Amino acid sequence: MSGKAARPKPAQTGESKVSFFPAWCKRCGNCVAFCPRGALKRDQWGYPVLADPDRCTSCGLCEMLCPDFALSVGEAGPKPAGAGAPRGSRVAPTTSPERLAPEPNGGEEDGNG
Amino acid sequence: MPPVHRSVVYDWLRHDKKFPHVWCPGCGLGILLGSLLRALVESGLDKNQVVLVSGIGCSGRLPVYVDVGSVHTTHGRALTFATGIKLAKPELKVITVMGDGDATAIGGNHLIHAARRNLDITAIIVNNQTYGMTGGQYSPTTPLGAKATTAPYGHIEPSFDISALSATAGAAFVARSTVYHVTQLDQLLGQAIAKPGFGVVEVLSPCHTNFGRQNRLGSQVDMMKEFKRKGMRVERWRELPEGRRAESIPLGVLVDRDLPVFGQSYDRICDAASRRGEAGK
Ligand code: SF4
Ligand code: SF4
Repeated sequence: MSGKAARPKPAQTGESKVSFFPAWCKRCGNCVAFCPRGALKRDQWGYPVLADPDRCTSCGLCEMLCPDFALSVGEAGPKPAGAGAPRGSRVAPTTSPERLAPEPNGGEEDGNG
Repeated sequence: MPPVHRSVVYDWLRHDKKFPHVWCPGCGLGILLGSLLRALVESGLDKNQVVLVSGIGCSGRLPVYVDVGSVHTTHGRALTFATGIKLAKPELKVITVMGDGDATAIGGNHLIHAARRNLDITAIIVNNQTYGMTGGQYSPTTPLGAKATTAPYGHIEPSFDISALSATAGAAFVARSTVYHVTQLDQLLGQAIAKPGFGVVEVLSPCHTNFGRQNRLGSQVDMMKEFKRKGMRVERWRELPEGRRAESIPLGVLVDRDLPVFGQSYDRICDAASRRGEAGK
């Protein structure tokens, strides 16, 4: 399989450039510290949010430097099965990655649209 | 380089494992795991063609999370199991993941002889300069003077240079990167996987929980910023005057040479022996 051909293009504009999966996030701060554009900030709990979507160039560095696969640049990752994780869930409901991933951005507004 | 999309990498994670994984928040092993998965996807290999072998330590947990054939072996012995797998099934792509203690202390002998034989195996050696899982004892790569639980007054032994050791021992491909230089790491892993013969990739990774704490190096972010500050492309590093080289860490492909690969030499010997056997009948 060629990864190259199958790779979806990251969204340049529009809704969510960065999707967060808080159930896997350990709040280490790598993504916020190393975003070259300073687009990410920590919320009051220490979880990353895309504070300044206009600054984000979809470079993908935050995704690559996240040790926990807890965020994704471009299109949203696999959707949770069924109704999805409860809004803002930070507890792993199952061991399946798809189902672990809550709705991108925890179903919350990311200030992007 | 744009990253391989998360859903593709997702596909290579073992879905019946518990996530988030066991490593400390911010640990470089998670970054390496992502990088390795992207390199595997990019190299166009099928899951069934890949075997991951690890020893003991925090790095030993890595293959457990990947949906390929994987073996979590005894301390220091990843390369011995990998040797057996490769010789029994040469068509498989065998990759070992070891830590610095695993690869250069208890498994040090296996490392130098696997390199000398030039087996077609990729050895990823995660160097965090300490035994992280057991609480921060000094390892063969702990720098002179650094603190460890077993060196409270500072380490009194000099350290191994893993890349130089592998190169001297005869590896066909040797590269070094850090988890901060993640795009470079993706590429180097891809190159090492594609290279016939023994390929070593030394990956500098922060253990802020043990090594960092004992040596007051701050968080993993601080330690990664230090990688950023000190890391230098090896081509540039070689142009530095001798006296200034120690300040920087050379990164990139350090050695890339074509040497006889053990598996091929072995096949030739088998052919010759069986021909002689036939002739003698
Ligand atoms: S994609 Fe790049 S610019 Fe956008 S938030 Fe991530 S690191 Fe920052
Ligand atoms: S790098 Fe990953 S685990 Fe760390 S804070 Fe960001 S999203 Fe969470």
